[in-house]
Amino acid sequence: MHLTDEQLNEYLDNEIPDRADIESHLASCADCAARLTVLQSLFAELDSLPDIALSTNLAVRFASTGQLVPQLPRWLTLTATLQAALALIALVAAAPFVMNLLPAIETPSFTEIFFRIQSQWLNLFTTITNYQLPNLPTLPPLQIPTLTLSLALAGASLLWLVGNGLLLRKQIR
Amino acid sequence: MTAPTDRDLIVRARRGDGDAFSELVTRYQINVFNVCYRILHERGEAEDLAQDTFMRAYNRLEQFDLEREFGPWVRRVAANLCLNHLESQKVSAPLDEDRDADESQRPEKQVEARERSEQIRGALASLPAHYRVVVELRHYQELSYDEIAAELKIPLSDVKSHLFRARKLLAEKLHAPD
Repeated sequence: MHLTDEQLNEYLDNEIPDRADIESHLASCADCAARLTVLQSLFAELDSLPDIALSTNLAVRFASTGQLVPQLPRWLTLTATLQAALALIALVAAAPFVMNLLPAIETPSFTEIFFRIQSQWLNLFTTITNYQLPNLPTLPPLQIPTLTLSLALAGASLLWLVGNGLLLRKQIR
Repeated sequence: MTAPTDRDLIVRARRGDGDAFSELVTRYQINVFNVCYRILHERGEAEDLAQDTFMRAYNRLEQFDLEREFGPWVRRVAANLCLNHLESQKVSAPLDEDRDADESQRPEKQVEARERSEQIRGALASLPAHYRVVVELRHYQELSYDEIAAELKIPLSDVKSHLFRARKLLAEKLHAPD
Protein backbone atom coordinates (compact mmCIF):
# COMPACT_ATOMS: atom_id res chain seq x y z
CA MET A 1 0.00 0.00 0.00
CA HIS A 2 1.39 3.41 -1.06
CA LEU A 3 1.42 6.69 0.83
CA THR A 4 -1.29 9.18 -0.11
CA ASP A 5 -0.55 12.62 -1.58
CA GLU A 6 -1.88 14.10 1.64
CA GLN A 7 0.62 12.13 3.72
CA LEU A 8 3.53 13.17 1.50
CA ASN A 9 2.50 16.84 1.64
CA GLU A 10 2.04 16.79 5.39
CA TYR A 11 5.36 15.00 5.81
CA LEU A 12 7.22 17.72 3.91
CA ASP A 13 5.31 20.45 5.74
CA ASN A 14 6.24 18.92 9.12
CA GLU A 15 2.56 18.62 9.94
CA ILE A 16 2.48 14.87 10.56
CA PRO A 17 3.22 13.39 13.99
CA ASP A 18 4.29 9.83 13.03
CA ARG A 19 7.20 10.72 10.76
CA ALA A 20 9.06 7.48 11.53
CA ASP A 21 6.31 5.37 9.88
CA ILE A 22 6.45 7.49 6.74
CA GLU A 23 10.25 7.37 6.62
CA SER A 24 10.36 3.57 6.98
CA HIS A 25 7.85 3.22 4.14
CA LEU A 26 9.82 5.65 1.93
CA ALA A 27 12.98 3.63 2.54
CA SER A 28 11.35 0.52 1.14
CA CYS A 29 9.07 1.94 -1.59
CA ALA A 30 10.70 3.36 -4.72
CA ASP A 31 7.39 4.67 -6.11
CA CYS A 32 6.59 6.77 -3.03
CA ALA A 33 10.22 7.95 -2.77
CA ALA A 34 10.04 9.12 -6.40
CA ARG A 35 6.75 10.99 -5.74
CA LEU A 36 8.37 12.62 -2.71
CA THR A 37 11.34 13.73 -4.84
CA VAL A 38 8.99 15.41 -7.35
CA LEU A 39 7.27 17.24 -4.52
CA GLN A 40 10.60 18.24 -2.99
CA SER A 41 11.82 19.67 -6.28
CA LEU A 42 8.64 21.76 -6.48
CA PHE A 43 9.31 23.06 -2.96
CA ALA A 44 12.87 23.92 -3.99
CA GLU A 45 11.66 25.74 -7.09
CA LEU A 46 9.13 27.79 -5.13
CA ASP A 47 11.82 28.63 -2.56
CA SER A 48 14.21 29.71 -5.31
CA LEU A 49 11.93 32.46 -6.55
CA PRO A 50 13.94 35.68 -6.11
CA ASP A 51 12.58 38.94 -4.75
CA ILE A 52 12.20 41.62 -7.38
CA ALA A 53 12.92 45.32 -6.90
CA LEU A 54 10.33 48.02 -6.51
CA SER A 55 10.20 50.73 -9.17
CA THR A 56 9.10 53.34 -6.64
CA ASN A 57 9.85 54.14 -3.02
CA LEU A 58 6.65 53.62 -1.06
CA ALA A 59 8.11 55.29 2.04
CA VAL A 60 8.15 58.73 0.36
CA ARG A 61 4.44 59.17 0.76
CA PHE A 62 4.69 58.76 4.52
CA ALA A 63 7.93 60.74 4.92
CA SER A 64 6.64 63.75 2.97
CA THR A 65 3.76 64.15 5.40
CA GLY A 66 6.31 64.66 8.20
CA GLN A 67 3.82 64.63 11.01
CA LEU A 68 0.99 62.15 10.55
CA VAL A 69 -2.27 62.72 12.36
CA PRO A 70 -1.76 61.05 15.75
CA GLN A 71 -4.14 58.21 16.28
CA LEU A 72 -6.42 58.48 19.26
CA PRO A 73 -6.61 55.41 21.49
CA ARG A 74 -9.64 53.27 20.77
CA TRP A 75 -11.05 53.73 24.27
CA LEU A 76 -10.92 57.51 23.85
CA THR A 77 -12.71 57.41 20.52
CA LEU A 78 -15.41 55.17 21.97
CA THR A 79 -15.79 57.35 25.07
CA ALA A 80 -16.09 60.51 22.98
CA THR A 81 -18.69 58.87 20.73
CA LEU A 82 -20.65 57.68 23.76
CA GLN A 83 -20.50 61.14 25.33
CA ALA A 84 -21.75 62.75 22.13
CA ALA A 85 -24.60 60.25 21.90
CA LEU A 86 -25.58 60.84 25.56
CA ALA A 87 -25.45 64.62 25.08
CA LEU A 88 -27.74 64.35 22.06
CA ILE A 89 -30.22 62.19 23.96
CA ALA A 90 -30.14 64.64 26.91
CA LEU A 91 -30.74 67.54 24.54
CA VAL A 92 -33.77 65.86 22.99
CA ALA A 93 -35.12 64.91 26.42
CA ALA A 94 -34.65 68.46 27.79
CA ALA A 95 -36.13 70.22 24.78
CA PRO A 96 -39.77 70.37 26.11
CA PHE A 97 -38.62 71.87 29.44
CA VAL A 98 -36.43 74.44 27.72
CA MET A 99 -39.34 75.41 25.46
CA ASN A 100 -41.47 76.07 28.59
CA LEU A 101 -38.78 78.21 30.20
CA LEU A 102 -37.91 80.26 27.13
CA PRO A 103 -40.92 82.64 27.18
CA ALA A 104 -40.09 83.59 30.81
CA ILE A 105 -36.65 84.85 29.79
CA GLU A 106 -36.57 88.29 28.25
CA THR A 107 -34.58 87.91 25.12
CA PRO A 108 -33.95 90.81 22.73
CA SER A 109 -35.39 90.44 19.28
CA PHE A 110 -33.18 89.87 16.26
CA THR A 111 -33.77 93.45 15.04
CA GLU A 112 -32.72 94.81 18.44
CA ILE A 113 -29.47 92.79 18.37
CA PHE A 114 -28.79 93.90 14.82
CA PHE A 115 -29.23 97.60 15.69
CA ARG A 116 -27.00 97.27 18.75
CA ILE A 117 -24.22 95.73 16.70
CA GLN A 118 -24.66 98.35 13.99
CA SER A 119 -24.49 101.29 16.43
CA GLN A 120 -21.38 99.81 18.10
CA TRP A 121 -19.74 99.40 14.73
CA LEU A 122 -20.59 103.01 13.77
CA ASN A 123 -19.09 104.26 17.04
CA LEU A 124 -15.91 102.31 16.38
CA PHE A 125 -15.75 103.60 12.80
CA THR A 126 -16.19 107.22 13.92
CA THR A 127 -13.45 106.81 16.56
CA ILE A 128 -11.04 105.40 13.99
CA THR A 129 -11.73 108.08 11.35
CA ASN A 130 -11.41 110.95 13.89
CA TYR A 131 -8.16 109.63 15.34
CA GLN A 132 -5.18 111.94 14.80
CA LEU A 133 -1.59 110.88 15.05
CA PRO A 134 0.57 112.91 17.47
CA ASN A 135 3.03 115.32 15.83
CA LEU A 136 6.40 113.68 15.31
CA PRO A 137 9.64 115.70 15.47
CA THR A 138 10.82 116.59 11.96
CA LEU A 139 14.27 115.42 10.84
CA PRO A 140 16.62 117.59 8.81
CA PRO A 141 16.68 116.59 5.09
CA LEU A 142 19.47 114.14 4.17
CA GLN A 143 22.19 115.47 1.89
CA ILE A 144 23.67 112.44 0.05
CA PRO A 145 25.85 113.09 -2.99
CA THR A 146 24.67 111.34 -6.17
CA LEU A 147 27.94 109.42 -6.56
CA THR A 148 27.74 107.98 -3.01
CA LEU A 149 24.11 106.96 -3.57
CA SER A 150 24.96 105.26 -6.90
CA LEU A 151 27.89 103.40 -5.33
CA ALA A 152 25.75 102.26 -2.38
CA LEU A 153 23.00 100.99 -4.72
CA ALA A 154 25.56 99.18 -6.92
CA GLY A 155 27.15 97.58 -3.82
CA ALA A 156 23.79 96.47 -2.45
CA SER A 157 22.83 94.95 -5.83
CA LEU A 158 26.14 93.11 -6.01
CA LEU A 159 25.74 91.74 -2.49
CA TRP A 160 22.19 90.65 -3.33
CA LEU A 161 23.37 88.80 -6.46
CA VAL A 162 26.28 87.09 -4.65
CA GLY A 163 24.07 86.14 -1.72
CA ASN A 164 21.39 84.59 -3.96
CA GLY A 165 24.07 82.84 -6.00
CA LEU A 166 25.45 81.22 -2.86
CA LEU A 167 22.00 80.20 -1.66
CA LEU A 168 20.98 78.69 -4.99
CA ARG A 169 24.31 76.99 -5.69
CA LYS A 170 23.24 73.63 -4.21
CA GLN A 171 19.91 73.62 -6.01
CA ILE A 172 21.49 74.38 -9.39
CA ARG A 173 23.77 71.35 -8.98
CA MET B 1 24.20 54.92 17.33
CA THR B 2 22.09 51.78 16.95
CA ALA B 3 19.13 51.77 14.61
CA PRO B 4 15.73 51.99 16.33
CA THR B 5 13.83 48.72 16.67
CA ASP B 6 10.52 48.14 14.89
CA ARG B 7 8.83 48.47 18.25
CA ASP B 8 10.37 51.93 18.84
CA LEU B 9 9.27 53.04 15.39
CA ILE B 10 5.73 51.79 15.95
CA VAL B 11 5.48 53.65 19.25
CA ARG B 12 6.68 56.85 17.58
CA ALA B 13 4.38 56.34 14.59
CA ARG B 14 1.43 55.95 16.94
CA ARG B 15 2.18 59.45 18.23
CA GLY B 16 1.92 60.73 14.65
CA ASP B 17 5.60 60.67 13.66
CA GLY B 18 5.48 60.24 9.87
CA ASP B 19 9.24 59.72 9.58
CA ALA B 20 9.10 56.77 11.99
CA PHE B 21 6.42 55.06 9.93
CA SER B 22 8.31 55.92 6.76
CA GLU B 23 11.32 54.06 8.20
CA LEU B 24 9.12 51.01 8.82
CA VAL B 25 7.89 51.19 5.23
CA THR B 26 11.49 51.39 3.99
CA ARG B 27 12.35 48.25 5.97
CA TYR B 28 9.46 46.13 4.73
CA GLN B 29 8.41 47.53 1.36
CA ILE B 30 10.37 44.98 -0.70
CA ASN B 31 8.92 42.07 1.31
CA VAL B 32 5.39 43.41 1.08
CA PHE B 33 5.68 44.25 -2.60
CA ASN B 34 6.94 40.73 -3.37
CA VAL B 35 4.03 39.17 -1.48
CA CYS B 36 1.69 41.22 -3.68
CA TYR B 37 3.64 40.49 -6.84
CA ARG B 38 3.71 36.72 -6.24
CA ILE B 39 -0.06 36.72 -5.78
CA LEU B 40 -1.09 39.30 -8.39
CA HIS B 41 1.69 38.90 -10.95
CA GLU B 42 1.21 42.45 -12.18
CA ARG B 43 3.72 45.12 -11.15
CA GLY B 44 1.43 48.16 -11.12
CA GLU B 45 -1.28 46.43 -9.12
CA ALA B 46 1.29 44.92 -6.78
CA GLU B 47 2.75 48.36 -6.03
CA ASP B 48 -0.72 49.82 -5.45
CA LEU B 49 -1.65 46.97 -3.12
CA ALA B 50 1.67 47.27 -1.28
CA GLN B 51 0.91 50.96 -0.72
CA ASP B 52 -2.60 50.09 0.47
CA THR B 53 -1.10 47.51 2.81
CA PHE B 54 1.00 50.14 4.55
CA MET B 55 -1.94 52.55 4.73
CA ARG B 56 -4.02 49.81 6.34
CA ALA B 57 -1.16 48.93 8.66
CA TYR B 58 -0.92 52.56 9.75
CA ASN B 59 -4.64 52.75 10.41
CA ARG B 60 -4.46 49.57 12.50
CA LEU B 61 -1.28 50.52 14.33
CA GLU B 62 -3.17 51.41 17.50
CA GLN B 63 -4.53 47.87 17.73
CA PHE B 64 -1.20 46.23 16.86
CA ASP B 65 0.16 44.06 19.66
CA LEU B 66 3.70 45.28 20.37
CA GLU B 67 4.72 41.79 21.46
CA ARG B 68 4.26 40.53 17.90
CA GLU B 69 6.69 41.06 15.04
CA PHE B 70 5.75 43.75 12.57
CA GLY B 71 7.22 42.08 9.45
CA PRO B 72 5.19 38.84 9.45
CA TRP B 73 2.07 40.77 10.46
CA VAL B 74 2.30 43.30 7.63
CA ARG B 75 3.01 40.52 5.10
CA ARG B 76 -0.14 38.70 6.20
CA VAL B 77 -2.10 41.95 5.84
CA ALA B 78 -0.73 42.18 2.29
CA ALA B 79 -1.74 38.59 1.46
CA ASN B 80 -5.26 39.20 2.72
CA LEU B 81 -5.59 42.44 0.80
CA CYS B 82 -4.45 40.72 -2.40
CA LEU B 83 -6.97 37.92 -1.87
CA ASN B 84 -9.78 40.46 -1.39
CA HIS B 85 -8.59 42.30 -4.47
CA LEU B 86 -8.60 39.13 -6.59
CA GLU B 87 -11.99 38.12 -5.30
CA SER B 88 -13.42 41.53 -6.13
CA GLN B 89 -12.06 41.25 -9.67
CA LYS B 90 -12.88 37.60 -10.27
CA VAL B 91 -10.68 37.55 -13.36
CA SER B 92 -7.26 36.08 -13.71
CA ALA B 93 -4.52 38.70 -13.73
CA PRO B 94 -2.83 39.31 -17.07
CA LEU B 95 0.86 38.58 -17.33
CA ASP B 96 3.12 41.52 -16.66
CA GLU B 97 4.75 42.34 -19.97
CA ASP B 98 7.24 44.82 -18.51
CA ARG B 99 9.10 42.30 -16.42
CA ASP B 100 11.23 40.87 -19.19
CA ALA B 101 12.59 44.18 -20.40
CA ASP B 102 16.34 44.49 -21.01
CA GLU B 103 17.13 40.79 -21.29
CA SER B 104 19.35 41.10 -24.32
CA GLN B 105 22.56 41.85 -22.44
CA ARG B 106 22.25 39.27 -19.67
CA PRO B 107 24.53 36.27 -19.54
CA GLU B 108 22.88 33.05 -20.70
CA LYS B 109 22.60 31.42 -17.28
CA GLN B 110 21.01 34.48 -15.78
CA VAL B 111 18.52 34.57 -18.61
CA GLU B 112 17.70 30.90 -18.04
CA ALA B 113 17.22 31.43 -14.31
CA ARG B 114 15.07 34.45 -15.03
CA GLU B 115 12.96 32.50 -17.51
CA ARG B 116 12.46 29.72 -14.96
CA SER B 117 11.44 32.26 -12.34
CA GLU B 118 8.92 33.68 -14.76
CA GLN B 119 7.58 30.19 -15.45
CA ILE B 120 7.08 29.68 -11.72
CA ARG B 121 5.43 33.09 -11.36
CA GLY B 122 3.26 32.34 -14.36
CA ALA B 123 2.25 28.98 -12.91
CA LEU B 124 1.41 30.64 -9.58
CA ALA B 125 -0.62 33.31 -11.37
CA SER B 126 -2.66 30.66 -13.16
CA LEU B 127 -3.92 29.22 -9.85
CA PRO B 128 -7.29 30.19 -8.38
CA ALA B 129 -7.04 33.11 -5.93
CA HIS B 130 -7.47 31.05 -2.77
CA TYR B 131 -4.83 28.54 -3.86
CA ARG B 132 -2.34 31.33 -4.56
CA VAL B 133 -2.79 32.85 -1.13
CA VAL B 134 -2.48 29.51 0.66
CA VAL B 135 0.76 28.79 -1.23
CA GLU B 136 2.02 32.28 -0.33
CA LEU B 137 1.24 31.84 3.35
CA ARG B 138 2.72 28.33 3.54
CA HIS B 139 5.82 28.62 1.34
CA TYR B 140 6.83 32.27 1.68
CA GLN B 141 5.47 33.24 5.08
CA GLU B 142 5.97 29.76 6.60
CA LEU B 143 2.67 29.61 8.46
CA SER B 144 1.41 26.28 9.79
CA TYR B 145 -1.86 24.79 8.52
CA ASP B 146 -3.64 25.97 11.67
CA GLU B 147 -2.26 29.50 11.34
CA ILE B 148 -3.37 29.68 7.69
CA ALA B 149 -6.85 28.50 8.65
CA ALA B 150 -7.05 31.17 11.36
CA GLU B 151 -5.67 33.88 9.07
CA LEU B 152 -8.04 33.17 6.19
CA LYS B 153 -10.94 32.14 8.44
CA ILE B 154 -11.44 28.87 6.57
CA PRO B 155 -11.60 25.27 7.88
CA LEU B 156 -8.37 23.29 8.26
CA SER B 157 -9.63 20.79 5.69
CA ASP B 158 -9.92 23.62 3.12
CA VAL B 159 -6.37 24.74 3.83
CA LYS B 160 -5.10 21.24 3.12
CA SER B 161 -7.17 20.69 0.01
CA HIS B 162 -6.28 24.13 -1.42
CA LEU B 163 -2.58 23.62 -0.73
CA PHE B 164 -2.33 20.06 -2.03
CA ARG B 165 -4.34 20.82 -5.17
CA ALA B 166 -2.29 23.94 -5.77
CA ARG B 167 0.93 21.96 -5.56
CA LYS B 168 -0.43 19.30 -7.87
CA LEU B 169 -1.38 21.94 -10.44
CA LEU B 170 1.98 23.67 -10.08
CA ALA B 171 3.87 20.41 -10.52
CA GLU B 172 1.84 19.60 -13.63
CA LYS B 173 2.60 23.01 -15.15
CA LEU B 174 6.26 23.19 -14.18
CA HIS B 175 7.28 19.59 -14.74
CA ALA B 176 5.27 18.99 -17.88
CA PRO B 177 7.43 17.89 -20.84
CA ASP B 178 7.90 20.71 -23.40
